[in-house]
Amino acid sequence: MAETNASIVMPSAVKPATRTNRTGGFLLPRVLAGFGIMLVWEVVVRLTAPAYVAKPSGIVLVIPKVLVDPKFLEATVQTLGAVAQGLLIALALGTVIGLLIGRSATMERMLRHYINGFYAVPMIVILPLVTLWFGYTSAARLATIVFAAIFSIIINVADGARAVPREFLEVAASFRSGRLRTMIDIVLPASTPYFLAGLRLAAGRALIGAVVAEFFAAIGGLGYFILYKSRIFQHNEAFVGVLLLAAFGVGFEVLIGGSTRRFLPWYRRDEKAD
Amino acid sequence: MLSTVLGRRAPFFLSLLAGMALWEIVGRNTSPAFMVPLSETLVRFWQLVDSGQFGAQFLDSAKLFLTGLVLALVVGMPFGMLLARVQSLRTALEPYIMVLYATPMVALIPFILSIMGFGFTPKVLVVFLFAVFPVLYNTVEGARSIKPEMIEVARSFRSSEWALWREVMVPYTLPFTMTGVRQAIGRGLVGMVAAEFFLSSTGLGQLIMSSSQNFDTSGVLAMILMIGLIGVGLMRVGQMIENHFARWRV
Repeated sequence: MAETNASIVMPSAVKPATRTNRTGGFLLPRVLAGFGIMLVWEVVVRLTAPAYVAKPSGIVLVIPKVLVDPKFLEATVQTLGAVAQGLLIALALGTVIGLLIGRSATMERMLRHYINGFYAVPMIVILPLVTLWFGYTSAARLATIVFAAIFSIIINVADGARAVPREFLEVAASFRSGRLRTMIDIVLPASTPYFLAGLRLAAGRALIGAVVAEFFAAIGGLGYFILYKSRIFQHNEAFVGVLLLAAFGVGFEVLIGGSTRRFLPWYRRDEKAD
Repeated sequence: MLSTVLGRRAPFFLSLLAGMALWEIVGRNTSPAFMVPLSETLVRFWQLVDSGQFGAQFLDSAKLFLTGLVLALVVGMPFGMLLARVQSLRTALEPYIMVLYATPMVALIPFILSIMGFGFTPKVLVVFLFAVFPVLYNTVEGARSIKPEMIEVARSFRSSEWALWREVMVPYTLPFTMTGVRQAIGRGLVGMVAAEFFLSSTGLGQLIMSSSQNFDTSGVLAMILMIGLIGVGLMRVGQMIENHFARWRV
Protein backbone atom coordinates (compact mmCIF):
# COMPACT_ATOMS: atom_id res chain seq x y z
CA MET A 1 0.00 0.00 0.00
CA ALA A 2 2.73 2.38 0.93
CA GLU A 3 4.46 1.36 -2.25
CA THR A 4 1.59 3.11 -4.00
CA ASN A 5 2.15 6.23 -1.95
CA ALA A 6 5.83 6.24 -2.70
CA SER A 7 5.24 5.87 -6.39
CA ILE A 8 2.72 8.65 -6.44
CA VAL A 9 5.03 11.01 -4.64
CA MET A 10 7.69 10.62 -7.28
CA PRO A 11 6.23 12.37 -10.31
CA SER A 12 5.29 15.48 -8.41
CA ALA A 13 8.54 15.52 -6.46
CA VAL A 14 10.58 15.04 -9.61
CA LYS A 15 8.90 17.80 -11.51
CA PRO A 16 10.57 20.98 -10.31
CA ALA A 17 14.00 19.41 -10.18
CA THR A 18 13.99 18.03 -13.72
CA ARG A 19 12.89 21.35 -15.05
CA THR A 20 15.78 23.24 -13.58
CA ASN A 21 18.07 20.39 -14.60
CA ARG A 22 17.10 20.68 -18.21
CA THR A 23 17.75 24.38 -18.32
CA GLY A 24 20.82 24.16 -16.10
CA GLY A 25 22.85 22.15 -18.61
CA PHE A 26 23.58 19.04 -16.60
CA LEU A 27 23.97 17.04 -19.76
CA LEU A 28 27.76 17.25 -19.81
CA PRO A 29 28.44 15.67 -16.37
CA ARG A 30 25.92 12.95 -17.16
CA VAL A 31 27.50 12.05 -20.47
CA LEU A 32 30.95 12.15 -18.88
CA ALA A 33 29.78 9.89 -16.06
CA GLY A 34 28.36 7.49 -18.63
CA PHE A 35 31.66 7.29 -20.44
CA GLY A 36 33.44 6.91 -17.11
CA ILE A 37 31.28 3.95 -16.12
CA MET A 38 31.82 2.28 -19.48
CA LEU A 39 35.56 2.87 -19.32
CA VAL A 40 35.83 1.28 -15.88
CA TRP A 41 33.72 -1.66 -17.04
CA GLU A 42 35.85 -2.12 -20.17
CA VAL A 43 39.13 -1.98 -18.28
CA VAL A 44 38.03 -4.27 -15.46
CA VAL A 45 36.71 -6.90 -17.88
CA ARG A 46 39.80 -6.73 -20.10
CA LEU A 47 42.15 -7.10 -17.16
CA THR A 48 40.38 -9.67 -15.03
CA ALA A 49 37.69 -11.58 -16.92
CA PRO A 50 37.75 -14.22 -19.67
CA ALA A 51 37.27 -13.04 -23.24
CA TYR A 52 33.60 -14.05 -23.55
CA VAL A 53 32.43 -11.70 -20.78
CA ALA A 54 30.38 -8.78 -22.09
CA LYS A 55 32.18 -5.44 -22.36
CA PRO A 56 31.05 -2.12 -23.86
CA SER A 57 33.25 -2.32 -26.96
CA GLY A 58 32.07 -5.85 -27.67
CA ILE A 59 28.43 -4.94 -27.17
CA VAL A 60 28.61 -1.91 -29.45
CA LEU A 61 30.15 -4.08 -32.17
CA VAL A 62 27.42 -6.73 -32.03
CA ILE A 63 24.42 -4.38 -31.72
CA PRO A 64 23.90 -3.96 -35.50
CA LYS A 65 24.15 -7.70 -36.02
CA VAL A 66 21.74 -8.60 -33.19
CA LEU A 67 19.17 -5.98 -34.12
CA VAL A 68 18.63 -7.53 -37.56
CA ASP A 69 18.80 -11.11 -36.29
CA PRO A 70 15.33 -12.54 -37.01
CA LYS A 71 15.55 -14.73 -33.91
CA PHE A 72 16.10 -11.68 -31.73
CA LEU A 73 13.23 -9.79 -33.34
CA GLU A 74 10.93 -12.75 -32.96
CA ALA A 75 11.89 -13.11 -29.29
CA THR A 76 11.20 -9.41 -28.70
CA VAL A 77 7.78 -9.63 -30.33
CA GLN A 78 6.92 -12.74 -28.32
CA THR A 79 7.88 -11.27 -24.97
CA LEU A 80 6.36 -7.85 -25.53
CA GLY A 81 3.20 -9.35 -27.00
CA ALA A 82 2.80 -11.52 -23.92
CA VAL A 83 3.47 -8.57 -21.59
CA ALA A 84 0.93 -6.39 -23.42
CA GLN A 85 -1.67 -9.14 -23.42
CA GLY A 86 -1.10 -9.92 -19.73
CA LEU A 87 -1.26 -6.25 -18.79
CA LEU A 88 -4.56 -5.83 -20.64
CA ILE A 89 -6.09 -8.78 -18.78
CA ALA A 90 -4.72 -7.51 -15.47
CA LEU A 91 -6.02 -3.99 -16.19
CA ALA A 92 -9.53 -5.12 -17.05
CA LEU A 93 -9.90 -7.48 -14.10
CA GLY A 94 -7.88 -5.35 -11.70
CA THR A 95 -9.87 -2.18 -12.34
CA VAL A 96 -13.21 -3.89 -11.71
CA ILE A 97 -12.03 -5.60 -8.53
CA GLY A 98 -10.25 -2.45 -7.37
CA LEU A 99 -13.36 -0.29 -7.81
CA LEU A 100 -15.46 -2.83 -5.91
CA ILE A 101 -13.00 -2.92 -3.03
CA GLY A 102 -12.54 0.82 -2.98
CA ARG A 103 -16.24 1.67 -2.90
CA SER A 104 -17.68 -1.11 -0.80
CA ALA A 105 -16.67 -1.52 2.83
CA THR A 106 -17.85 -5.11 2.97
CA MET A 107 -15.92 -6.11 -0.13
CA GLU A 108 -12.91 -4.34 1.27
CA ARG A 109 -13.05 -6.27 4.54
CA MET A 110 -13.60 -9.52 2.71
CA LEU A 111 -10.97 -9.24 0.01
CA ARG A 112 -8.33 -6.82 1.26
CA HIS A 113 -6.22 -9.33 3.13
CA TYR A 114 -6.27 -11.72 0.19
CA ILE A 115 -5.10 -9.00 -2.18
CA ASN A 116 -2.39 -7.77 0.17
CA GLY A 117 -1.35 -11.34 0.85
CA PHE A 118 -1.05 -12.28 -2.82
CA TYR A 119 0.77 -9.01 -3.49
CA ALA A 120 3.38 -9.91 -0.87
CA VAL A 121 3.98 -13.38 -2.32
CA PRO A 122 7.19 -13.24 -4.35
CA MET A 123 5.64 -13.91 -7.76
CA ILE A 124 8.43 -16.22 -8.76
CA VAL A 125 7.34 -19.00 -6.35
CA ILE A 126 4.16 -19.62 -8.31
CA LEU A 127 6.17 -20.77 -11.35
CA PRO A 128 6.24 -24.46 -10.39
CA LEU A 129 2.49 -24.40 -9.85
CA VAL A 130 1.81 -22.48 -13.04
CA THR A 131 3.86 -24.91 -15.10
CA LEU A 132 2.00 -27.74 -13.42
CA TRP A 133 -1.30 -26.20 -14.49
CA PHE A 134 -0.47 -24.85 -17.92
CA GLY A 135 2.51 -26.96 -18.90
CA TYR A 136 5.70 -25.51 -20.34
CA THR A 137 3.77 -23.27 -22.72
CA SER A 138 3.27 -19.59 -23.38
CA ALA A 139 0.02 -19.84 -21.39
CA ALA A 140 2.17 -20.38 -18.31
CA ARG A 141 4.03 -17.16 -19.13
CA LEU A 142 0.78 -15.26 -19.59
CA ALA A 143 -0.53 -16.52 -16.24
CA THR A 144 2.68 -15.45 -14.52
CA ILE A 145 2.45 -11.97 -16.06
CA VAL A 146 -1.16 -11.54 -14.98
CA PHE A 147 -0.36 -12.72 -11.46
CA ALA A 148 2.64 -10.39 -11.29
CA ALA A 149 0.70 -7.36 -12.52
CA ILE A 150 -2.85 -7.57 -11.24
CA PHE A 151 -2.43 -6.96 -7.52
CA SER A 152 -0.64 -3.64 -7.76
CA ILE A 153 -3.42 -2.44 -10.08
CA ILE A 154 -6.15 -3.61 -7.70
CA ILE A 155 -4.48 -1.97 -4.71
CA ASN A 156 -3.93 1.34 -6.47
CA VAL A 157 -7.36 1.52 -8.06
CA ALA A 158 -8.93 0.75 -4.68
CA ASP A 159 -6.86 3.52 -3.04
CA GLY A 160 -7.88 5.90 -5.78
CA ALA A 161 -11.57 5.01 -5.53
CA ARG A 162 -11.42 5.61 -1.81
CA ALA A 163 -9.73 8.99 -2.24
CA VAL A 164 -12.51 10.45 -4.41
CA PRO A 165 -13.54 13.73 -2.73
CA ARG A 166 -16.82 13.28 -0.88
CA GLU A 167 -18.33 16.42 -2.46
CA PHE A 168 -18.19 14.82 -5.91
CA LEU A 169 -20.17 11.86 -4.67
CA GLU A 170 -22.65 14.05 -2.82
CA VAL A 171 -23.32 16.14 -5.90
CA ALA A 172 -23.79 12.97 -7.93
CA ALA A 173 -26.14 11.55 -5.32
CA SER A 174 -28.21 14.71 -5.14
CA PHE A 175 -28.67 14.58 -8.90
CA ARG A 176 -29.89 11.01 -8.38
CA SER A 177 -27.10 9.46 -10.37
CA GLY A 178 -27.20 5.66 -10.33
CA ARG A 179 -24.43 3.61 -8.75
CA LEU A 180 -22.97 2.36 -12.00
CA ARG A 181 -23.16 5.81 -13.53
CA THR A 182 -21.33 7.33 -10.56
CA MET A 183 -18.65 4.65 -10.81
CA ILE A 184 -18.01 5.19 -14.51
CA ASP A 185 -18.37 8.96 -14.69
CA ILE A 186 -16.97 10.08 -11.37
CA VAL A 187 -15.02 7.47 -9.43
CA LEU A 188 -13.11 6.13 -12.42
CA PRO A 189 -11.86 9.47 -13.81
CA ALA A 190 -11.07 10.79 -10.33
CA SER A 191 -8.86 7.82 -9.56
CA THR A 192 -6.91 7.92 -12.84
CA PRO A 193 -3.63 9.15 -11.29
CA TYR A 194 -3.67 6.23 -8.85
CA PHE A 195 -4.53 3.93 -11.70
CA LEU A 196 -1.50 5.16 -13.65
CA ALA A 197 0.74 4.73 -10.62
CA GLY A 198 -0.50 1.17 -10.35
CA LEU A 199 0.04 0.58 -14.03
CA ARG A 200 3.62 1.78 -13.72
CA LEU A 201 4.37 -0.71 -10.98
CA ALA A 202 2.45 -3.42 -12.80
CA ALA A 203 4.38 -2.91 -16.04
CA GLY A 204 7.71 -3.36 -14.27
CA ARG A 205 6.52 -6.45 -12.48
CA ALA A 206 4.99 -7.88 -15.67
CA LEU A 207 8.33 -7.57 -17.45
CA ILE A 208 10.07 -9.42 -14.62
CA GLY A 209 7.33 -12.05 -14.65
CA ALA A 210 7.76 -12.64 -18.36
CA VAL A 211 11.55 -13.04 -18.14
CA VAL A 212 11.36 -15.30 -15.11
CA ALA A 213 8.75 -17.53 -16.75
CA GLU A 214 10.89 -17.80 -19.88
CA PHE A 215 13.91 -18.82 -17.82
CA PHE A 216 11.94 -21.33 -15.85
CA ALA A 217 9.93 -22.97 -18.59
CA ALA A 218 12.24 -22.36 -21.58
CA ILE A 219 9.53 -20.46 -23.49
CA GLY A 220 10.78 -18.55 -26.54
CA GLY A 221 11.25 -14.83 -25.88
CA LEU A 222 13.78 -12.20 -24.82
CA GLY A 223 14.49 -13.91 -21.52
CA TYR A 224 15.14 -17.20 -23.22
CA PHE A 225 17.28 -15.44 -25.84
CA ILE A 226 19.45 -14.04 -23.05
CA LEU A 227 19.65 -17.42 -21.33
CA TYR A 228 20.55 -19.25 -24.54
CA LYS A 229 23.16 -16.76 -25.75
CA SER A 230 24.87 -16.62 -22.39
CA ARG A 231 24.99 -20.42 -22.24
CA ILE A 232 26.83 -20.56 -25.54
CA PHE A 233 29.17 -17.85 -24.20
CA GLN A 234 28.00 -15.07 -26.49
CA HIS A 235 27.62 -12.64 -23.63
CA ASN A 236 27.84 -9.53 -25.80
CA GLU A 237 24.88 -10.69 -27.87
CA ALA A 238 22.96 -11.66 -24.75
CA PHE A 239 23.58 -8.26 -23.22
CA VAL A 240 21.84 -6.52 -26.11
CA GLY A 241 18.73 -8.30 -24.84
CA VAL A 242 19.30 -6.91 -21.35
CA LEU A 243 19.68 -3.40 -22.82
CA LEU A 244 16.38 -3.78 -24.64
CA LEU A 245 14.64 -4.95 -21.45
CA ALA A 246 16.11 -1.99 -19.56
CA ALA A 247 14.91 0.33 -22.32
CA PHE A 248 11.39 -1.02 -21.95
CA GLY A 249 11.51 -0.73 -18.17
CA VAL A 250 12.64 2.89 -18.39
CA GLY A 251 10.28 3.59 -21.30
CA PHE A 252 7.25 2.58 -19.24
CA GLU A 253 8.39 4.76 -16.34
CA VAL A 254 8.95 7.81 -18.51
CA LEU A 255 5.76 7.30 -20.52
CA ILE A 256 3.53 7.03 -17.48
CA GLY A 257 5.28 9.74 -15.48
CA GLY A 258 5.07 12.03 -18.52
CA SER A 259 1.43 11.32 -19.27
CA THR A 260 0.47 11.95 -15.64
CA ARG A 261 2.00 15.39 -15.93
CA ARG A 262 0.70 16.04 -19.43
CA PHE A 263 -2.87 14.79 -19.21
CA LEU A 264 -3.65 15.09 -15.52
CA PRO A 265 -2.24 18.50 -14.66
CA TRP A 266 -5.04 18.95 -12.13
CA TYR A 267 -3.54 16.20 -10.05
CA ARG A 268 -1.35 17.49 -7.24
CA ARG A 269 -0.64 15.07 -4.49
CA ASP A 270 0.33 17.76 -2.01
CA GLU A 271 -3.13 19.31 -2.25
CA LYS A 272 -4.84 16.27 -0.90
CA ALA A 273 -2.01 15.12 1.29
CA ASP A 274 -3.30 12.64 3.81
CA MET B 1 -18.22 -3.22 22.58
CA LEU B 2 -17.50 -6.87 22.00
CA SER B 3 -20.33 -7.13 19.51
CA THR B 4 -19.06 -4.16 17.46
CA VAL B 5 -15.59 -5.66 17.32
CA LEU B 6 -17.14 -8.93 16.22
CA GLY B 7 -19.27 -7.10 13.70
CA ARG B 8 -16.25 -5.44 12.18
CA ARG B 9 -14.19 -8.59 12.26
CA ALA B 10 -16.90 -10.93 11.02
CA PRO B 11 -16.42 -10.32 7.26
CA PHE B 12 -12.71 -10.96 7.68
CA PHE B 13 -13.14 -14.33 9.37
CA LEU B 14 -16.04 -15.30 7.15
CA SER B 15 -14.06 -14.61 4.01
CA LEU B 16 -11.08 -16.46 5.43
CA LEU B 17 -13.31 -19.48 6.11
CA ALA B 18 -14.88 -19.14 2.67
CA GLY B 19 -11.44 -19.08 1.05
CA MET B 20 -10.36 -22.15 2.96
CA ALA B 21 -13.59 -23.97 2.10
CA LEU B 22 -13.20 -23.03 -1.56
CA TRP B 23 -9.65 -24.39 -1.60
CA GLU B 24 -10.81 -27.62 0.04
CA ILE B 25 -13.74 -28.11 -2.36
CA VAL B 26 -11.78 -27.29 -5.49
CA GLY B 27 -8.99 -29.56 -4.30
CA ARG B 28 -11.30 -32.47 -3.69
CA ASN B 29 -12.96 -32.17 -7.09
CA THR B 30 -9.94 -31.92 -9.36
CA SER B 31 -7.17 -34.26 -10.27
CA PRO B 32 -4.52 -34.33 -7.52
CA ALA B 33 -1.93 -33.51 -10.19
CA PHE B 34 -3.47 -30.03 -10.46
CA MET B 35 -4.82 -29.08 -7.07
CA VAL B 36 -4.81 -30.64 -3.65
CA PRO B 37 -7.22 -29.80 -0.83
CA LEU B 38 -6.07 -27.48 1.93
CA SER B 39 -6.19 -30.27 4.52
CA GLU B 40 -3.76 -32.40 2.51
CA THR B 41 -1.51 -29.39 1.94
CA LEU B 42 -1.34 -28.73 5.66
CA VAL B 43 -0.60 -32.38 6.42
CA ARG B 44 2.18 -32.33 3.84
CA PHE B 45 3.51 -29.13 5.31
CA TRP B 46 3.59 -30.69 8.76
CA GLN B 47 5.52 -33.64 7.32
CA LEU B 48 8.09 -31.28 5.84
CA VAL B 49 8.47 -29.46 9.15
CA ASP B 50 8.51 -32.65 11.19
CA SER B 51 11.20 -34.29 9.08
CA GLY B 52 13.44 -31.27 9.62
CA GLN B 53 13.68 -30.57 5.88
CA PHE B 54 11.84 -27.30 6.14
CA GLY B 55 13.86 -25.98 9.07
CA ALA B 56 17.21 -26.70 7.47
CA GLN B 57 16.26 -25.18 4.11
CA PHE B 58 14.64 -22.20 5.79
CA LEU B 59 17.86 -21.39 7.63
CA ASP B 60 19.78 -21.75 4.38
CA SER B 61 17.47 -19.29 2.61
CA ALA B 62 17.45 -16.90 5.54
CA LYS B 63 21.24 -16.77 5.51
CA LEU B 64 21.25 -15.95 1.80
CA PHE B 65 18.52 -13.33 2.11
CA LEU B 66 19.99 -11.56 5.12
CA THR B 67 23.54 -11.48 3.73
CA GLY B 68 22.33 -9.94 0.48
CA LEU B 69 20.01 -7.48 2.15
CA VAL B 70 22.56 -6.33 4.73
CA LEU B 71 25.16 -5.85 1.99
CA ALA B 72 22.64 -3.82 0.00
CA LEU B 73 21.99 -1.58 2.99
CA VAL B 74 25.66 -1.22 3.91
CA VAL B 75 26.50 -0.17 0.34
CA GLY B 76 23.27 1.58 -0.63
CA MET B 77 22.72 3.83 2.35
CA PRO B 78 26.12 5.55 2.65
CA PHE B 79 26.46 5.84 -1.11
CA GLY B 80 22.97 7.27 -1.37
CA MET B 81 23.74 9.81 1.35
CA LEU B 82 26.97 10.76 -0.38
CA LEU B 83 25.04 11.38 -3.57
CA ALA B 84 22.56 13.36 -1.51
CA ARG B 85 25.22 15.79 -0.35
CA VAL B 86 27.53 16.03 -3.34
CA GLN B 87 25.30 17.63 -5.90
CA SER B 88 27.56 17.27 -8.91
CA LEU B 89 27.98 13.55 -8.29
CA ARG B 90 24.23 13.21 -7.95
CA THR B 91 23.35 14.97 -11.19
CA ALA B 92 25.96 12.90 -12.98
CA LEU B 93 24.88 9.49 -11.68
CA GLU B 94 21.14 9.97 -11.15
CA PRO B 95 19.98 8.83 -14.60
CA TYR B 96 22.03 5.65 -14.36
CA ILE B 97 20.61 4.78 -10.97
CA MET B 98 17.12 5.36 -12.34
CA VAL B 99 17.83 3.09 -15.30
CA LEU B 100 19.22 0.33 -13.09
CA TYR B 101 16.24 0.70 -10.75
CA ALA B 102 13.88 0.10 -13.67
CA THR B 103 15.90 -2.73 -15.24
CA PRO B 104 14.61 -6.22 -14.50
CA MET B 105 17.65 -7.58 -12.64
CA VAL B 106 16.57 -11.18 -13.26
CA ALA B 107 17.92 -10.74 -16.77
CA LEU B 108 21.46 -10.66 -15.33
CA ILE B 109 21.18 -14.09 -13.70
CA PRO B 110 22.41 -16.08 -16.74
CA PHE B 111 25.57 -13.93 -16.87
CA ILE B 112 26.21 -14.36 -13.17
CA LEU B 113 25.72 -18.09 -13.55
CA SER B 114 28.17 -18.54 -16.37
CA ILE B 115 30.82 -16.20 -14.94
CA MET B 116 30.66 -17.04 -11.25
CA GLY B 117 29.26 -20.56 -11.20
CA PHE B 118 27.31 -22.23 -8.45
CA GLY B 119 28.67 -21.05 -5.10
CA PHE B 120 27.16 -18.96 -2.35
CA THR B 121 28.74 -15.69 -3.57
CA PRO B 122 26.90 -15.45 -6.92
CA LYS B 123 23.61 -16.03 -5.10
CA VAL B 124 24.35 -13.27 -2.62
CA LEU B 125 25.19 -11.05 -5.58
CA VAL B 126 21.75 -11.72 -7.07
CA VAL B 127 19.96 -10.77 -3.83
CA PHE B 128 22.21 -7.72 -3.52
CA LEU B 129 21.46 -6.54 -7.07
CA PHE B 130 17.74 -6.95 -6.50
CA ALA B 131 17.84 -5.02 -3.22
CA VAL B 132 20.40 -2.25 -3.62
CA PHE B 133 18.76 -0.07 -6.27
CA PRO B 134 15.50 0.63 -4.44
CA VAL B 135 17.59 1.88 -1.49
CA LEU B 136 19.80 4.06 -3.70
CA TYR B 137 16.95 5.34 -5.85
CA ASN B 138 14.75 6.38 -2.95
CA THR B 139 17.62 7.97 -1.03
CA VAL B 140 18.57 10.08 -4.05
CA GLU B 141 14.92 10.91 -4.61
CA GLY B 142 14.68 12.09 -1.01
CA ALA B 143 17.85 14.11 -1.23
CA ARG B 144 16.55 15.82 -4.33
CA SER B 145 13.48 17.03 -2.49
CA ILE B 146 15.41 18.73 0.34
CA LYS B 147 14.48 22.39 0.13
CA PRO B 148 17.58 24.44 -0.64
CA GLU B 149 16.40 26.95 1.98
CA MET B 150 17.02 24.39 4.71
CA ILE B 151 20.64 24.07 3.76
CA GLU B 152 20.94 27.83 3.26
CA VAL B 153 19.55 28.48 6.72
CA ALA B 154 21.93 25.95 8.23
CA ARG B 155 24.80 27.60 6.33
CA SER B 156 23.90 31.12 7.38
CA PHE B 157 23.98 29.97 10.98
CA ARG B 158 27.51 28.79 10.23
CA SER B 159 26.64 25.15 10.65
CA SER B 160 29.63 22.85 10.28
CA GLU B 161 29.55 20.11 7.64
CA TRP B 162 29.12 17.49 10.34
CA ALA B 163 26.20 19.35 11.94
CA LEU B 164 24.60 19.85 8.53
CA TRP B 165 24.63 16.08 8.00
CA ARG B 166 23.45 15.28 11.48
CA GLU B 167 20.69 17.86 11.70
CA VAL B 168 19.45 18.23 8.12
CA MET B 169 20.65 15.71 5.57
CA VAL B 170 20.28 12.45 7.48
CA PRO B 171 16.99 13.15 9.25
CA TYR B 172 15.46 14.47 6.05
CA THR B 173 16.48 11.63 3.72
CA LEU B 174 16.12 8.73 6.16
CA PRO B 175 12.35 8.25 5.69
CA PHE B 176 12.86 8.07 1.92
CA THR B 177 15.68 5.58 2.41
CA MET B 178 13.36 3.50 4.56
CA THR B 179 10.77 3.42 1.77
CA GLY B 180 13.62 1.99 -0.29
CA VAL B 181 14.43 -0.51 2.45
CA ARG B 182 10.86 -1.76 2.43
CA GLN B 183 10.95 -2.17 -1.34
CA ALA B 184 14.35 -3.83 -1.02
CA ILE B 185 12.92 -6.42 1.39
CA GLY B 186 10.23 -7.35 -1.14
CA ARG B 187 12.60 -7.43 -4.10
CA GLY B 188 15.29 -9.22 -2.13
CA LEU B 189 12.85 -12.04 -1.43
CA VAL B 190 12.19 -12.41 -5.16
CA GLY B 191 15.94 -12.34 -5.74
CA MET B 192 16.46 -15.01 -3.13
CA VAL B 193 13.99 -17.43 -4.74
CA ALA B 194 15.29 -16.56 -8.22
CA ALA B 195 18.86 -17.33 -7.12
CA GLU B 196 17.73 -20.62 -5.61
CA PHE B 197 15.80 -21.56 -8.74
CA PHE B 198 18.29 -20.59 -11.41
CA LEU B 199 21.69 -20.84 -9.76
CA SER B 200 22.55 -23.79 -7.53
CA SER B 201 19.40 -25.21 -6.04
CA THR B 202 19.33 -24.73 -2.28
CA GLY B 203 17.01 -23.57 0.45
CA LEU B 204 13.28 -23.13 0.14
CA GLY B 205 13.59 -22.73 -3.63
CA GLN B 206 15.12 -26.18 -3.88
CA LEU B 207 12.34 -27.62 -1.74
CA ILE B 208 9.73 -26.26 -4.18
CA MET B 209 11.70 -27.42 -7.21
CA SER B 210 12.13 -30.97 -5.93
CA SER B 211 8.44 -31.17 -4.96
CA SER B 212 7.49 -29.99 -8.41
CA GLN B 213 9.83 -32.45 -10.12
CA ASN B 214 8.32 -35.30 -8.08
CA PHE B 215 4.82 -34.14 -9.08
CA ASP B 216 4.18 -33.61 -5.38
CA THR B 217 1.48 -30.96 -5.78
CA SER B 218 0.76 -30.81 -2.07
CA GLY B 219 4.43 -30.12 -1.40
CA VAL B 220 4.46 -27.29 -3.97
CA LEU B 221 1.32 -25.75 -2.50
CA ALA B 222 2.61 -26.12 1.06
CA MET B 223 5.82 -24.31 0.13
CA ILE B 224 4.01 -21.55 -1.77
CA LEU B 225 1.75 -21.02 1.24
CA MET B 226 4.77 -20.88 3.53
CA ILE B 227 6.83 -18.51 1.40
CA GLY B 228 3.71 -16.40 0.93
CA LEU B 229 3.29 -16.11 4.68
CA ILE B 230 6.97 -15.24 5.06
CA GLY B 231 6.49 -12.58 2.39
CA VAL B 232 3.49 -11.11 4.21
CA GLY B 233 5.41 -11.11 7.50
CA LEU B 234 8.44 -9.39 5.95
CA MET B 235 6.22 -6.78 4.30
CA ARG B 236 4.74 -6.01 7.71
CA VAL B 237 8.21 -5.61 9.18
CA GLY B 238 9.20 -3.32 6.31
CA GLN B 239 6.07 -1.25 6.80
CA MET B 240 6.79 -0.91 10.50
CA ILE B 241 10.36 0.21 9.84
CA GLU B 242 9.12 2.76 7.32
CA ASN B 243 6.39 4.11 9.56
CA HIS B 244 8.81 4.38 12.46
CA PHE B 245 11.17 6.61 10.50
CA ALA B 246 8.49 8.54 8.65
CA ARG B 247 6.69 9.83 11.73
CA TRP B 248 7.52 13.45 11.04
CA ARG B 249 6.55 13.26 7.37
CA VAL B 250 2.83 13.28 8.23
